[in-house]
Parts: sequence; structure tokens; C-alpha cells
Amino acid sequence: MSVIKKLYPVLGLSLLAVASSLFAQDAKQIEVTTIVKKEVVVEQDDGTRTTELVAADSVVPGERVVYTISFRNVGSEPADNVVITNPIAETLKYVAGSAAGDDLEVEFSVDGGATFGKADELRVVIDGVERPATTLDYTHVRWVMQERLEAGSEGQASFAAVLE
Amino acid sequence: MSLMRAVTEPHRPLQDVCARLAYAAFATVAIGGPAWAAGTPAGTLIEGTATVDFDYGGTPFSVSSNTTVLAVAERIDVATVLQSPQQVVSAGDTNRALLFTVTNTGNGTETFALAIDNLIAGDEFDPAAAVPAIYFDTDGSGDLTAADQAYTAGTNDPVLAADASIDIFLVNDIPAGVANGDIGRSQLTATSTTGTGAAGTVYAGTGDTGVDAVVGTTGGESADTGEYIVSDIQVAMVKSQAVTDAFGGTEPLPGATITYTITVDVIGSGTAAASVVRDPIPTYTTYVPGSLLLNGTALSDAADADAGELDTSVVPTIVVRLGDLTLASGTQTIVFQASID
Repeated sequence: MSVIKKLYPVLGLSLLAVASSLFAQDAKQIEVTTIVKKEVVVEQDDGTRTTELVAADSVVPGERVVYTISFRNVGSEPADNVVITNPIAETLKYVAGSAAGDDLEVEFSVDGGATFGKADELRVVIDGVERPATTLDYTHVRWVMQERLEAGSEGQASFAAVLE
Repeated sequence: MSLMRAVTEPHRPLQDVCARLAYAAFATVAIGGPAWAAGTPAGTLIEGTATVDFDYGGTPFSVSSNTTVLAVAERIDVATVLQSPQQVVSAGDTNRALLFTVTNTGNGTETFALAIDNLIAGDEFDPAAAVPAIYFDTDGSGDLTAADQAYTAGTNDPVLAADASIDIFLVNDIPAGVANGDIGRSQLTATSTTGTGAAGTVYAGTGDTGVDAVVGTTGGESADTGEYIVSDIQVAMVKSQAVTDAFGGTEPLPGATITYTITVDVIGSGTAAASVVRDPIPTYTTYVPGSLLLNGTALSDAADADAGELDTSVVPTIVVRLGDLTLASGTQTIVFQASID
């Protein structure tokens, strides 16, 4: 489906363009956008320090970045079983407790996205020794929506990570 | 779901990535973070794409977000650490070296300028920088040797990869006239040639692969200070001999005479109090009575008021009391003779 959507701009024939446009509308029930920003500490005129999010065009090791995923049901019917999944890059260290989102249950994967579980349920086996997973073991974070996403509704999921 | 880890890592071999994916499928090995001490390499691009799965009208769908890209900038950091213990020196010493290690603690390749500073507050004297004063420990010996190359600012500034380090010597002369226990300090500073400043200062486009360079917590500059301490005193004693045989030659034949010369020098400052030279007469030789001289003046063999005697209480031994010696005393020369039995 998404392949057709991507091809749409390059199709030259207007008839095909109209046809695919109609089809694409059906396929594009949910729009999703990711932005990433980094945290900077800004000293105010009164000497207090506040943390602000600024564009993360470049980051250095030790800096903290925040990913925000916005999604919206642009179709005419509700969407069920909505799950948002985001890989955690190997060079990023997930910040414990940072994953958030209204009406979303947070789960993690420690096996490259094959299986997911709650933070306190995940276990890993290293050199034959099993132990509880730590945030360093996370490969993916996902948010499982507890209610259906009604037509026209939107939501946000976010998490923070530190660049190693 | 088609969830690949969208990370561009120029330093990670493909087979490693494949191995990790294989492990992931078996779900038995956790994927830990990378272990770069200095952090993710500058120039790394970290891509991220979110996926939304859902059912719509009873049919499952999956849509992807745009892909975000984080470009890892170069963080400029450096650590200079003294390796040498406090160096014991004497007044007038030359080419006394202090060893330091300079480490690139940033995440990119960086060039560092080196500088020596001997005007350090809180010490008693300023070491005099040798010319040249900065050397690389080229042969890795830990000691200054002829194989070590001199550093010339702007010509052979060390270029260090992330996490790499290099050993550097500061070489100084110790001035004359320093006093016992005086301490002199010498400082090595390594400075990023890309830039320095407060943490967070950005040098746009000057990092590895053209990414921004950002000054880290070290400010892009690091110094450490070594220390010289003037020793109490050093006494140098040198003994030489000359043989004269009965035939006017120099063969060590029975009956030949050996003239021993002992010189004593005080090096450094301070006083060698109540100095005494004791030298046993060698086996198979016999002391020549009345042959003992100190600085050209004869000393009697008897234990009396003068400074020397032949002590025969155990084995025959020349004893000369030089008293309190300083650098100003000059060379003390003791001469005596023995004949070969």
C-alpha cells in the first residue's frame, strides 16, 4: 500500500493519478510523523536554569534527545489495535521511564523487535546466564493504544535517549 | 512488521550486524550498547523511523513515519596526565625530562598543539626549558633517548584518533644556585587546533567528515604539571690508579708502585657534613708509608690532629676526614701509594 502511495507523485498519466489518489486515500487512514529534538539547559536572566528542547541537527555524546511521534486518524472510520513502534538506535541509551503517551501502554523489546514485554517482565540471557533486562538492553519501544483511535482523533508518543 | 535498526555505523562490520540480527531472532542474547570510551564516533548518522500498525475495517495496515536523522557531531575533549614521579635534581642539571600522556577523549580525530609553561605559581624556582623542550617518546621507552623526536609547533602537532593517546616529554635544565628542597614546576598543555572555549561552543563544519565540532567539558584544552625537587646533595667519588715499575715502565710487577688517586666532588647544593673517605689497601699490596696526600699536602700515617691516617685496626685502610663539603669546596684529591707484594 505504501509503495503505491510513494509512487503516486511520479505517475504521469492523469487517469492513473486519479485512480491511485482515490486508492491512496483509503490506504492512508493514519498519518504518522516523527520529530527529534535535543535538550539544552538554558540559563535565564534571573540565573535559574531551565531545560529546553531545540532542533537536533547535530548532537554530541552525552546529549539527551527526545523523539516525539504524532499520529492521526485521517480516515472516516475508527482504527483498532493501534500500535506505534520505534527502534532505539544502538548508539542511543533509552532513558528509564521516559516513554510516555496518553492512553498508551508502553512495552519494550530486547530481541530486535521480535517480542515485546513490560519493562519489569523482560529478561535476557548473556553467556548462558539469565538476568532482568536493563534499559541498555532495549532495542525497541512500542506503545499499545488501549482504546480505538476514532476518525479524526490524534495522539502522541514520546521517549528520551542519551547519545553514547 | 519490518523493523530493522536504522543505524548507520561506519565502524561496525556488516557481519557483526548480521550476527546481531541472527541472535535477535533466537531472542537469547541481548543487544548491548557499543563500548566507545569516547562516545559514538563523529560523523555517525542515527536514523529513526516509527511504524504504526492498526486494523482498519477489519484489515491490518502498517504505515511508517518520516525518517529522522541525527548527525553525531565531533566533541572536542583532551586529557593531559603527568606520568613521572617527582624528579630529584641537582643545581645545573641539564635535559631533565618529565613524561606526560595526552589522550584524545573526544569522539573524532583531532590535532593538538603542545606548549610548555614553567612560570607556575607556588614553586621556588623556574626550570629553564631546554631547546627544544618538547619531545615525543618516539621509541616508547618511557625515557628520553636519542631516538625521540622533538616537537615543533605547527609542524608535527600530534594527530590523535578518538581514544588514542601519545606520550610526551618536557625537557628542562635546572638553574644553578637553587637551594636544597626547592621545588620547580613545569606544565604541559595540549590544545585542540580546531578550537577551544566553554563547553558547548560550536565550530560549524570543522569536525570529522564535515560535521560540527562542539567543545566538550574539557574546553578543548588540558594541562598537567610535573615537579622537580632539588636533592640535598650528591657526592661523586672517582678512583684511578697508575703503576710505576722498578724499570721505569708501567708493568704491575712485584715491587712496582701503584699510585691511587681519589677525587671527591660535591654536586648540587647543600652540605655533605663530616665527610670521610675510607679505602682499604688492596690485597697483595702494601701501603707505602708516608705516601698519603690530601690536595697535595702530606698527611701523617698516625691517628693524630691532621685529617688522615692509616687505620690498621682491621685491614689496613686509608682514612681521610674531608669535613663539611659544599659545591664551593671544589674537588678534593686524595693520593696514596701501595707496592705490589
